[in-house]
Amino acid sequence: MGPLVVNEIISPETNLFFAFIIGIAFGFVLEINGFSSSRRLAGMFYGYDTTVLKVFFTAAIVGMIGLLFLSLFGMLDLSLIYINPTFLWSAIGGGVIMGAGFILGGYCPGTSFTAASIGKLDALAFIGGLFIGVFIFAEGYPLWEGFYKSKDLGYPLLNNLIGTSRGMMTFLMIVVALAMFWIGEWAEKKFARDDYKINQH
Amino acid sequence: MTKDNKPKKYMNPYIGGVLLGLVLVFAFWVSGRGLGASGAPKSLIVAGVEAIAPAHATTAPFYKEYGSAKENPLKAWLVFQMMGVLVGGFISGAFAGRLKFKVEKSPKITNKTRLIFAVIGGILFGFGAQLGRGCTSGSALTGMAVLSVGGFVTMAAIFGTAFGLAYFARKLWI
Amino acid sequence: MKSLKILAIAILPLGLIIAAVPENTTRPYKLTAEELLTEVMESRQFMSPDEIAQMLIDKDPSLQLIDVRSKDQFEKFSLPNAINIPLESLLSSEFEDVLNQDVKVNVFYSNSSNDANQAWMITRQLGYSNNYVLQGGLNYWGETILNPEKPAEGSPNEEIAKYNFRMGANQALGGGSDAAAASPGTSSGAPKPVIQKTKKKKGAAGGC
Repeated sequence: MGPLVVNEIISPETNLFFAFIIGIAFGFVLEINGFSSSRRLAGMFYGYDTTVLKVFFTAAIVGMIGLLFLSLFGMLDLSLIYINPTFLWSAIGGGVIMGAGFILGGYCPGTSFTAASIGKLDALAFIGGLFIGVFIFAEGYPLWEGFYKSKDLGYPLLNNLIGTSRGMMTFLMIVVALAMFWIGEWAEKKFARDDYKINQH
Repeated sequence: MTKDNKPKKYMNPYIGGVLLGLVLVFAFWVSGRGLGASGAPKSLIVAGVEAIAPAHATTAPFYKEYGSAKENPLKAWLVFQMMGVLVGGFISGAFAGRLKFKVEKSPKITNKTRLIFAVIGGILFGFGAQLGRGCTSGSALTGMAVLSVGGFVTMAAIFGTAFGLAYFARKLWI
Repeated sequence: MKSLKILAIAILPLGLIIAAVPENTTRPYKLTAEELLTEVMESRQFMSPDEIAQMLIDKDPSLQLIDVRSKDQFEKFSLPNAINIPLESLLSSEFEDVLNQDVKVNVFYSNSSNDANQAWMITRQLGYSNNYVLQGGLNYWGETILNPEKPAEGSPNEEIAKYNFRMGANQALGGGSDAAAASPGTSSGAPKPVIQKTKKKKGAAGGC
């Protein structure tokens, strides 16, 4: 019954080893889908490449489905998994800043590591910036600590917010995601560029 | 270019998404948590400051909150995961013939411009990820999979802002 | 577009299933049947009235008596500082923190030991520790503490010691205001149960 490390089926050290293995899978899947290319990632926002949308949201809905099915079969105890907390203002504020960083830098932390591993120098620059940004946050912490910790809503779940079950929420998300993919495919045809090949199966 | 073998095609994105989702579910099953990324630079910075300026690390509030007093930053799950990401990305790149030192950008700007903006973007993202308690992998992807409101909010903010600023940054990419 | 169609065909049925099936909110049993049988055979969950009386006399703060009878019965008579968790409300979420903890020694009691023992069985299977059963229930408590039987002349010393202890306990608990009547020297001799520290499973940590 999962999670394995919480139910002490594996030790914390084994857990770290699994973190490494999971990371390998993560990096491999990111790279093989072209997330190691900043032009591809940024292309999401100009319509010429919606790979990010497709991979990201497919992964999200598979994640939702997978977690619920594992719980259904008694293989995972959903009350023991980590759910990230909602601090409303810092979630929005941080998201806005990250959005700016995304469109200017062309990466997010996970993809920057993936891109760096295949030699992208702009990714290395981005990673350097990451460390600087974290350091700035750490050093100036007292200045924004209040904002960072404000509006702690706990761990609200989206399905509770709209008053439905987790399964139903998942189904709705699937429909939304499929609709977005359909729009994305349309956009790719409409905004295609001459100097850029999507180069996908 | 004298090479006659083009780099291999990327995977079908839907299959890729399914695979990524399965990795995510596996992480939950084993470790009770999803994927992430921005926590790794944080752990390294905390560990670094503790090593280089221990006095500062014991007094400054951020390091007190996230430092060795609570748990050893180097033994962090995310640090190990990100090391794996480097290996995994490399393996995939190697198999597909995509290993190459390169600066990726729009043809209309110089490498220097691109690199400067990459650093700026990184600084913004590093700061923002701390403020938002996660990045696209940790907060948005993992958060959505567990239906956390925070995850959706952060995701909407990231994508919304990027879309909103896209017009002003277009020279970098198109 | 073709792969999108395939994805949709594959994933929509899964979504429908997961939306239709009710969520699995069962609380799993943590002990196997074999493990539980072993514990039941050893009868380690019982605590005698003497032990409980001793803890009450010592004003031991780790003792928590839990009355599993109905509210009416509880209000008519209850042991000192006991709380009432009627058996049918045992699994209610408001009592989970009382039953699943590692600070106090919970002792279930009922009139006989039946209901109390059943409460113990269920909470034990859920993996909770530090719960015990008052042996013989209130019936036996009445016989031993409230009305201790005077042993016949010539009984072994331990019988007499037990009787003295119970008389003292009676004094201390049965309405006598003089709690110091039972001196420490007349202890029942049984060791206090050790509180098992359970690592209450806090769930996984995560971040970023």
